[in-house]
Amino acid sequence: MTTADTVLVVEDEAPMRRFLRGALQAEGFRVIEASTLATAKLLVTVHVPAAILLDLGLPDGDGLTLLESVRTWSSAPVIVLSARDREDDKVAALDAGADDYLTKPFGTSELLARIRVALRHARAQRAPDTPVLTIGPIKIDQARHEVTNDGKQVHLTPTEYRLLVLLARHAGKVLTHRQLLTDVWGPRSTHQTHYLRVHMAALRRKIEEDPARPRFLSTEPGVGYRLLTDR
Amino acid sequence: MNPFEKLQGLYELSESGRVPTVPDSRPPRATTRAYVVAVVSVAVMTAAGVLLAPYTSHADLAMAFMLAVLVAALGGRGPGLTAVVLSAASFDFFFVEPVHTFAVADRSFLITFAVMLAVGIAIGSLVSRMRAAEAESRERALRARAEEMRATLLSSVSHDLRTPLAVINGTATSLREGSEGAQRKQLQTIIDEAQRLSRILTNLLSITKVESGTQPKREWVPLEELVGSALSRLEPELAEHPLTLAVADELAHVDPILCEQLLINLVENATKHTPDGTPIEVRARREPRAAILEIADRGPGLPEGPAEQVFEKWFRGSTMRVGGVGLGLAVCRAIAVAHDGSIEAVRRDGGGAMFRVTFPDDGAPPKVEDADEPLAKAS
Repeated sequence: MTTADTVLVVEDEAPMRRFLRGALQAEGFRVIEASTLATAKLLVTVHVPAAILLDLGLPDGDGLTLLESVRTWSSAPVIVLSARDREDDKVAALDAGADDYLTKPFGTSELLARIRVALRHARAQRAPDTPVLTIGPIKIDQARHEVTNDGKQVHLTPTEYRLLVLLARHAGKVLTHRQLLTDVWGPRSTHQTHYLRVHMAALRRKIEEDPARPRFLSTEPGVGYRLLTDR
Repeated sequence: MNPFEKLQGLYELSESGRVPTVPDSRPPRATTRAYVVAVVSVAVMTAAGVLLAPYTSHADLAMAFMLAVLVAALGGRGPGLTAVVLSAASFDFFFVEPVHTFAVADRSFLITFAVMLAVGIAIGSLVSRMRAAEAESRERALRARAEEMRATLLSSVSHDLRTPLAVINGTATSLREGSEGAQRKQLQTIIDEAQRLSRILTNLLSITKVESGTQPKREWVPLEELVGSALSRLEPELAEHPLTLAVADELAHVDPILCEQLLINLVENATKHTPDGTPIEVRARREPRAAILEIADRGPGLPEGPAEQVFEKWFRGSTMRVGGVGLGLAVCRAIAVAHDGSIEAVRRDGGGAMFRVTFPDDGAPPKVEDADEPLAKAS
């Protein structure tokens, strides 16, 4: 992260903006703020922020419309701020191009971790793909299609391998059920979510020591899956 | 409206009876009025027929009676048939030779009666089917509106109460970063309590949602996934308890979000009411037509009195540690019931409590074939 990174905070509650501003500035970010969609749309074009924190419930409209208009010309990561019981909104935002979400209430460390992952991922998209992906003890050799865990080879089916590679390329970032189904089974995939769940369960059993207490393959109920990196 | 008025509104929405919870799909019954109309219209036609008989043919009279049948049939199948029978009888008695008897000299009139009957049945059936469809669509619209109001109110309550909590929690975590010693501990207390309040709020909103009739979105989910995602949210609470897991490689047909919440509440309940260091067991398996979840502890067991009382709203056991507000287990029961399932609390042999949840299903989890060969062979 460079100290010049600008983060746009789009949030209508002033106390929430104060907290976010404080936390982000302490970490060296430059913070610009908008409390309405109209202001946000203006600021996005003027300042070209490196990342956007977006509350979906704004007084002058749905945050999704900002997301859609930003996505037509910018790939700056957008992190949606949402509540625990708004899973459908989160999925809609993620499928519309948001990079991740934070569930209120969240702490500073969670906030900064999400922003770091999102910025890193935005930069990595511009860099060439690395031949070996490493997640803790797990190594994925993309050239040889080989996966090892602590040096021991893991035998995956092609479906499990594709799922793992996809999650590893987006390590730390949530992927929705639909994104995973589309990427692994194709855009016209007619499979139901349970298909994905069963293959994820099989993958979990192969790479997790205790599949009912996973270290890497985290479930986001009602949303999707995330490959955890910093645990 | 303040958040509590909104919550109240949610309860009223489900209790006012404006929203029928059991759909009534039978066609509406014909009213007495429709039968009166049937009798009167036949009587009017008979009177008119008697007056006009010298000037009209039998065919015209039959058509006039058909009109009476049609008018009556608009009231439903019952009144339609009544009119058919009355018309046939009246036509026969007053106009068919020999007049003033029910005898029929010319057999061709039987065809007239048969046509009357067919028309009466056909129109009556059509009308009653139309009425039923209309009633159903009206009910569906009403239900959709109630559902929409419920969703709007819930999300607005959620926003009103969560935003201040999120600010308290967030600001305290920011302050904690730069503090140490006693102050750090105090800030941690604020964070813990804000998170506890947030969980209480989640329970309050869930029970409101489930009890106001929102249907669970059931999917087939691996038991390991359900247990794993719930446990991952309880890391701090579980730090002081050895955990034993016995989770079968099977599927349950549940709403994953609600089921996670049920598991979180049951495990959290176990950690809250048992001394540090005592073991907690989580078991999940399938029976032929149900998924079974069990959470067992070795704590002080259930409070005195009937076991089911722990599932009452606002019930609090008198155990050593202060608990929540007595909603956690009530939410569990509401979630189990919403799935047509059940929950029971059991006193364990050797001490402690066990909660068993049954999620019934059709006993046919979908098969997911994976004909894939292993990708990488051992080299």
